[in-house]
Amino acid sequence: MSALLASALLVTACGSGDNASDSALEGPATASSLTIAVDKDSGPLNLFAGQTDQLTELVYDKLLAPSPYVDDPKPWLATSVTQVSASTWEVALRDGVTWHDGAPFTADDVVFSFHYMHQAPTGRFTHHVNDTPSISTVETTAAGGVRFTCDYACPELGPVTLADLPIVPKHVWSTVDPAKAKEHAALPIGTGPYQLVDYSPTSGYRFTANANYFAGKPTVDELVMPVIADPSATFTALRSGQIDATTRALTPELTDEFRRSSQVGVVKTSPLRYPELKLNFLEAPFSEAKFRTALNKAVDRDQLLEVVGLGQGRPATQGYVHPDAPYANPTESPYDVAGANTILDELGYVDDDGDGFRENAAGEKLTYRIHANGGLAPDVRAAQLLTEDFRKVGLDVSVVAVDTGSLSDIAAKKTYDMYVTTNSPHAVADPTQFIMSHRSGNLWKAPSVPYPEYDALYEKWRKTETNEARLAVLDEIQTLFNQQPTVLGLYYPDEYFGVRADSFAGWVETPGYGVVHKWSFLPREVSESAGAIAPVR
Amino acid sequence: MPLLRRVGQYLLVLWAAVTLNFALPYLAPGDPVQYLYGGEEGNLAPEHVAQLRQDYGLDRSVLEQYVSFWGGLLHGDLGTSVAHNRPVSDVLVDKLPWTLALVGTAMVLAAVLGTLLGTWAAWRRGSRRETATVTGVLAVDSMPGFWVGMILIAVFSVQLGWFPSYGAAPIEASGWSWFTAVAVRMVLPVLTLVIASIGGFFLLARASTVSVLDEPFIRLARAKGLSERSVALGHALRNALLPVFTSLTLTAGTLLSGAVVVESVFAYPGLGKLTYDAVTTRDYPLLQGAFLLATIGIVAANLLADLAYPILDPRVRRERVTHHRKEVSA
Repeated sequence: MSALLASALLVTACGSGDNASDSALEGPATASSLTIAVDKDSGPLNLFAGQTDQLTELVYDKLLAPSPYVDDPKPWLATSVTQVSASTWEVALRDGVTWHDGAPFTADDVVFSFHYMHQAPTGRFTHHVNDTPSISTVETTAAGGVRFTCDYACPELGPVTLADLPIVPKHVWSTVDPAKAKEHAALPIGTGPYQLVDYSPTSGYRFTANANYFAGKPTVDELVMPVIADPSATFTALRSGQIDATTRALTPELTDEFRRSSQVGVVKTSPLRYPELKLNFLEAPFSEAKFRTALNKAVDRDQLLEVVGLGQGRPATQGYVHPDAPYANPTESPYDVAGANTILDELGYVDDDGDGFRENAAGEKLTYRIHANGGLAPDVRAAQLLTEDFRKVGLDVSVVAVDTGSLSDIAAKKTYDMYVTTNSPHAVADPTQFIMSHRSGNLWKAPSVPYPEYDALYEKWRKTETNEARLAVLDEIQTLFNQQPTVLGLYYPDEYFGVRADSFAGWVETPGYGVVHKWSFLPREVSESAGAIAPVR
Repeated sequence: MPLLRRVGQYLLVLWAAVTLNFALPYLAPGDPVQYLYGGEEGNLAPEHVAQLRQDYGLDRSVLEQYVSFWGGLLHGDLGTSVAHNRPVSDVLVDKLPWTLALVGTAMVLAAVLGTLLGTWAAWRRGSRRETATVTGVLAVDSMPGFWVGMILIAVFSVQLGWFPSYGAAPIEASGWSWFTAVAVRMVLPVLTLVIASIGGFFLLARASTVSVLDEPFIRLARAKGLSERSVALGHALRNALLPVFTSLTLTAGTLLSGAVVVESVFAYPGLGKLTYDAVTTRDYPLLQGAFLLATIGIVAANLLADLAYPILDPRVRRERVTHHRKEVSA
């Protein structure tokens, strides 16, 4: 190991970007120990309770890798994944894989995992087994593989579901009542490259490398992960060399400072999430498709990117699904104040009293509020710019800054006109989630407002039997949604991570996961073969 | 009997405080389930949200939750934290020792140093050194805790590299090295708290000592030929300690509330940050448990002060005995 450490000094390409200092780090490709700050305590990595995918996937593996956020997930615990009919899939499994406690990994573990997820309380993975898609049976095959059968056609089960759900050991979880799955506090046993050997709510996590990992020995022997919730404390620790990296992205203001540092390297990534403005489509006039179209045209996204995102990223003119998601249908939504004014005029909203603001048919001024989290300066800044944009088309909009809990409350009760928030990779890069978001009320669910175009497309989507056909319908749904969005993207930011390259330089970007994840700690050729390294954009 | 009556009064206060504590979280807007799954809200259909609310008992009426809360309290069950998926008592017990160690150490150091410095300043009142000391302490006292913490980190952690800037104990340490690591990591947060709180003790001790310096017993002590140190520490300070003790017990009451600012700056695992996070996430069971702990601390500290006063000051003891006799004879 020491010989390997001594000889391993090479240049590792990381992420993407146009700045050379962001895209290449010089330093060792292996390390004996790294200290990486995590921004929140995720408990003992119980899959069925609150957890963080990046940490969980150090311990657990999935049938396909690396995630549903790439174009073509590759077999991982599986050796092949085959759709044998519209609603049936068969999976062949890798031989010789063992759990961290030495027990062999078998098809029974896969069958058990999916059954257990059906029975366990609602959580992160629920919709992947009981709605979109709806898996009816999971059984072993005579050949030692696993067969999945769905209630209706599930062509996305392979590339999405199997690339998202971790496999858990039957011999551990069968002793835990599914109803009490969230309370299970034992350290997890997985097949993954790292074993969690220590966890303390006060001190964080310690992982040791799984020397027998089927894909190859990890490049870092030990990962120590203290929990540092405060951003300032995190970046101070990074600057002073007390930690080697963090799961927290640099703020735009800090990026340049760290770029200038001779000791801290900066890795640029494209996160599959972005700030957005949610419209309350249950209430008029936001329930009117044309009104939403007008709002969409009125937003100056270039200005939002420059002022709020400090120019680091792209304006969100390409619709709800993140343009880096493999199934994205980028529908350009250019800034068009004249177009917005025309639509509002056509809808009968005109400025009768000459005060600069439009009134409705009843003579009431169009006055609305944008709620934003007062603790997040960029969100408040974005909300202020949006009020200026909307005033340009005659809408009287003001900003209301509230605390996190209050914002969560008004969002849940839908007592808002509009509010600024940030979505997640799962929301904007998982094709099944795009459908699920229409069913759950996130993007749509308004029984009192007819939406026959979507309903027709949803039925068409359900009837498709191949992934290609399903993605084609998804393309149509995106076009429809982007014409009359219930959520307006503000800008697609770039993210920058500060790392101590003198300790370790093997960081790679995986779509949706930043740089702290298992693919940074596996031999580069392994990560490449799994399709886990984000393409250069 | 007076003791029992006094304890009874405090139990009544405790009941009222616990009831208020139970009610407080419900006065704030926000729903813990929505907060926890906010980032993944698209995952959850309304029926799933309803199931989660049922799992956490949030679907019951406030009255039912209140009755259940008291039932749990009497059985030592504070419920399950929504954010941590663990019993509230376990979550609190994890943080309690760290808060006691951090805030307790800082409080004792601030009280001792502040009192000694205050007494010294009173003894030297009118001198240039006293003026400089008062000015210096007031200047230090006016600095916000988070700012002091950040300055200490910038100097002693980033520039000099003497102390770690975050955490209470490294997970990889064990045995003696663990104790050493804990002690080293406690230096900067304790120093921050001492700097932020020493001013109150200093001013109180100084004012209190000044007020007794002209008392006849001080003149008598000097007339007896006692040394200045004996007069200052044995007579002046001893009589001036009562207000300082009052302040100390009141401060001790907040011991179980943690020190949220310092805990945030130093990423220290204490009750203050835990409570703050529980407020943010609307984690009602954890909030109620944390409030209960803080309430118990304050009530216990007041009871302690009440019971200790007669021991520390014979005049109070005599007054209470006289008052009780009058009540009995009446």
